[in-house]
Amino acid sequence: MGQIVAQQQAAPLPLALAVGEQGSQQYLTFTLNGEVFAIGILNIKEIIEYGSLTEIPMMPAFIRGVINLRGAVVPVVDLSARFGGRPTAVARRTCIVIVEMAQVVDDAEIRQDIGIVVDSVNEVLEIPRGEIEPPPTFGARIRADFIQGMGKVAGKFVIILNIDRVLSVDEMAQLATVGASLAPEGEERGT
Amino acid sequence: MDEITSVFVTESREQLEAMEAALLQLEDNPDDADILGAVFRAAHTIKGGAGVIECGFLVAFTHVVESALDKLRNGEITANADLIALLLACSDHMGHLIGVLESGTAAPGGDLQTDGDALLARLQRDWLSADAVGAAAAPAPKAEPVLSSGGGAVETDCWHISLRFGPDVLKNGMDPLSFLRYLTTLGRIERIETLADAMPAAEEMDPEACYLGFEISFSSDADKAAIERVFDFVRDECALYILPPRSRLADYMQLMAALPEDSMRLGEILVRVGALTQAELDEGLRTQSAGTEPDAAGEPHPAAPLGEILVEQHVVQPELVEAAVVKQKQVSDKKAADARLIRIQADKLDRLIDLVGELVIAGASVNLLASRAGQADLTEATSIVSRLVESIRDSALQLRMVQIGETFGRFNRVVRDVSKELGKDIELVITGGETELDKSVVEKIGDPLMHLVRNAIDHGIEPPEVRAARGKPPRGRLALNAFHDSGSIVIEIVDDGGGLNRDKITRKAVERGLIASGQSLSDNEIYGLIFEPGFSTADRVSNLSGRGVGMDVVKRNIQSLRGRVEVSSTEGEGTRFSIRLPLTLAIIDGFLVGAGAASYVIPLDTVVECMELQAVTTERNYLNLRGEVLPFIRLRNLFEIDGERPRRENVVVVRAAGQKAGIVVDQLLGEFQTVIKPLGHLFRNLRGIGGSTILGSGEVALILDVQALAQLAAKGEETSLSHNQTGRNSLAN
Repeated sequence: MGQIVAQQQAAPLPLALAVGEQGSQQYLTFTLNGEVFAIGILNIKEIIEYGSLTEIPMMPAFIRGVINLRGAVVPVVDLSARFGGRPTAVARRTCIVIVEMAQVVDDAEIRQDIGIVVDSVNEVLEIPRGEIEPPPTFGARIRADFIQGMGKVAGKFVIILNIDRVLSVDEMAQLATVGASLAPEGEERGT
Repeated sequence: MDEITSVFVTESREQLEAMEAALLQLEDNPDDADILGAVFRAAHTIKGGAGVIECGFLVAFTHVVESALDKLRNGEITANADLIALLLACSDHMGHLIGVLESGTAAPGGDLQTDGDALLARLQRDWLSADAVGAAAAPAPKAEPVLSSGGGAVETDCWHISLRFGPDVLKNGMDPLSFLRYLTTLGRIERIETLADAMPAAEEMDPEACYLGFEISFSSDADKAAIERVFDFVRDECALYILPPRSRLADYMQLMAALPEDSMRLGEILVRVGALTQAELDEGLRTQSAGTEPDAAGEPHPAAPLGEILVEQHVVQPELVEAAVVKQKQVSDKKAADARLIRIQADKLDRLIDLVGELVIAGASVNLLASRAGQADLTEATSIVSRLVESIRDSALQLRMVQIGETFGRFNRVVRDVSKELGKDIELVITGGETELDKSVVEKIGDPLMHLVRNAIDHGIEPPEVRAARGKPPRGRLALNAFHDSGSIVIEIVDDGGGLNRDKITRKAVERGLIASGQSLSDNEIYGLIFEPGFSTADRVSNLSGRGVGMDVVKRNIQSLRGRVEVSSTEGEGTRFSIRLPLTLAIIDGFLVGAGAASYVIPLDTVVECMELQAVTTERNYLNLRGEVLPFIRLRNLFEIDGERPRRENVVVVRAAGQKAGIVVDQLLGEFQTVIKPLGHLFRNLRGIGGSTILGSGEVALILDVQALAQLAAKGEETSLSHNQTGRNSLAN
């Protein structure tokens, strides 16, 4: 497994680096329950160590809580739980990847930072366009619309996530409403 | 949009507001000269500004409005309801035109243009044309015929304008050319001569100074005051002499004497612009040199101020001079008032508040460290700092406080228009306009208020005949009131109309399946139904309201401001909506409590008292508070916090929406200045949590929305009981 990029990486990554060549794009790969996933680097603001997270009551399990990111309150999503699995167990290498999302809510574009919990961060990779396969119609055990494509890296497939869908604020807020009403049954929350 | 335009747009909107307010006042006091003056000034300022930024369509429209106002001011026509309605429509149209300017469009669109033309046509037809003859007779020199003396009148029917701009005109952002261009909106410049005599040698010239002067022959029907007003904006910085058509030759001579240039040269120029013929000039110069003083270029007459001389010579009417003096005074008064106000961009202020917020958070962490270090002098120093921070916080928040009166004032117009449209007679009573609240709250409360006011007029207050039949005064009364109440502001909208009909609401609610028939509800619960989406008791839909869209939006808007709305009503007597809002959206005083590992903030203004929870023997969630039954919520249960309950628990007694409740927590951690950080869209459906804040330790703590918590608990208990469910967490529903 690659090196850990857990240092504070406050400066936004240079855009030119990623959009320089049309043919390939850079991706950050990370591990989640032993599986490798990738997300486009353009959305990523920084990667921080997991810590001092405040849980929000009455929310579904995939909303882990909020953290204080230099004075801003940033929600943290548990990807593993979002994909329907068990919530990520916190270990030594657990990180929070801060992703900047631009979403249209009530006809106004809002920018929101969202953190995602991952088991460990691997590396930044360049995957040429030709090395990305369309997502399988089934079998990935993840909602098809969450997958942007399957990248071939060193002979293995890496799931490239469609981060706009995975972290859709609208959808998650809707689910939160449902989750809140289910919460009392005590089944929704994993902790 | 460049800076000048944006300043113009902002200021014009203010002027329009002032104009509208004054017009509404005028309706009650049609003869009040002060109010008329205010209306006129507003229109005039807008026109002047529009001329400066060369916004032709706005000038053209406002000019006609101004003419009508001028007639009104001169007493040629009197204000009646029709005229005021028309003028109000005109002021709306001016608002639209300013909107066009703001959007950067070159000219108003087709519809707007048509509307404007229609308004102008009405003004012309009804108010201007009938008196057109009278207006022509009005100009000063004719009212009291110019005395024929000296060389007799000069044979030209053009005004003569001598204009010398001061050196600072350009530096002050005025473009001499735009005044001339604007002058042409009043008439036609027949001839113009530019005088560059004041221009120094090249090495001494200041490129930013204006050295120009103009001699203008101007044909127009406008009166002297109107021409003078063109130059209002540079009045202090230019020398302006206006001679009416057919002035006496002596006046021209005097003018020449008053101007800085040499008489001979001036004479030539006057001949060139066609103000004088050569023969007239010669005669004039002859008379002048034959006068008492030998050196004509000196000051033969002008020892007395120009105004007096002009009056003396019947060039201007005394009233005109008086008006000018009064006007000058008003201008200077206004300037003095402006000096005490500073215009600040809202985002700069927001930035300051953000910084103060950061300061408060940083201060909290310093305090925490200092108290851990246990050094007495350090603790003392930090306590001084935190006191200062607190004052800074209060003053910074104070900066954003504005009076609600302005928002209320807008409803004068709404009530007037809507009640007229519906044939109702309604009086609006405004009290508590001086109550202050945060500007961001004021901005967002306008729409919900508008909706409630419209509703009250449309559905609440009955038509006069119905009122008479019910033995009420025919004139309906709508009251807007605001006051401060324990850390929040309460805005009330009270009408003396028919009130809410319990049975009707219940029936509709059953029809819509909101409640089961036969379900017994309290008054509050029933009235609360009107805030359900799509709920309307109106039998018919009017173009104002009754579609059932709105009350839910009102409620949502108010909730998004962390406020709430309540309604109480007596059938046949009226309805009272009261909106309770937090004073500020940025920083509050909080009370920090702990439950499990997490900390929570309860807004301090809701906290009544704290005490230790005595061992509760029953499983029921209420306790005896000095003889009162106090229901309580266990935060651990509601939020499903794991772990053992501590041996000692505490109760925070809070008051929300008029009722008391207890919140059981593990520890009481004391007061805490709370900088509210919104949780964002992801949590917008979360009830019971009002926001978050950052503690001195850098951790995030959640702010409890006490009222929502109480509702959650009540609702949860109800559903769990009605479903005959038992469960550890049933409260949380």
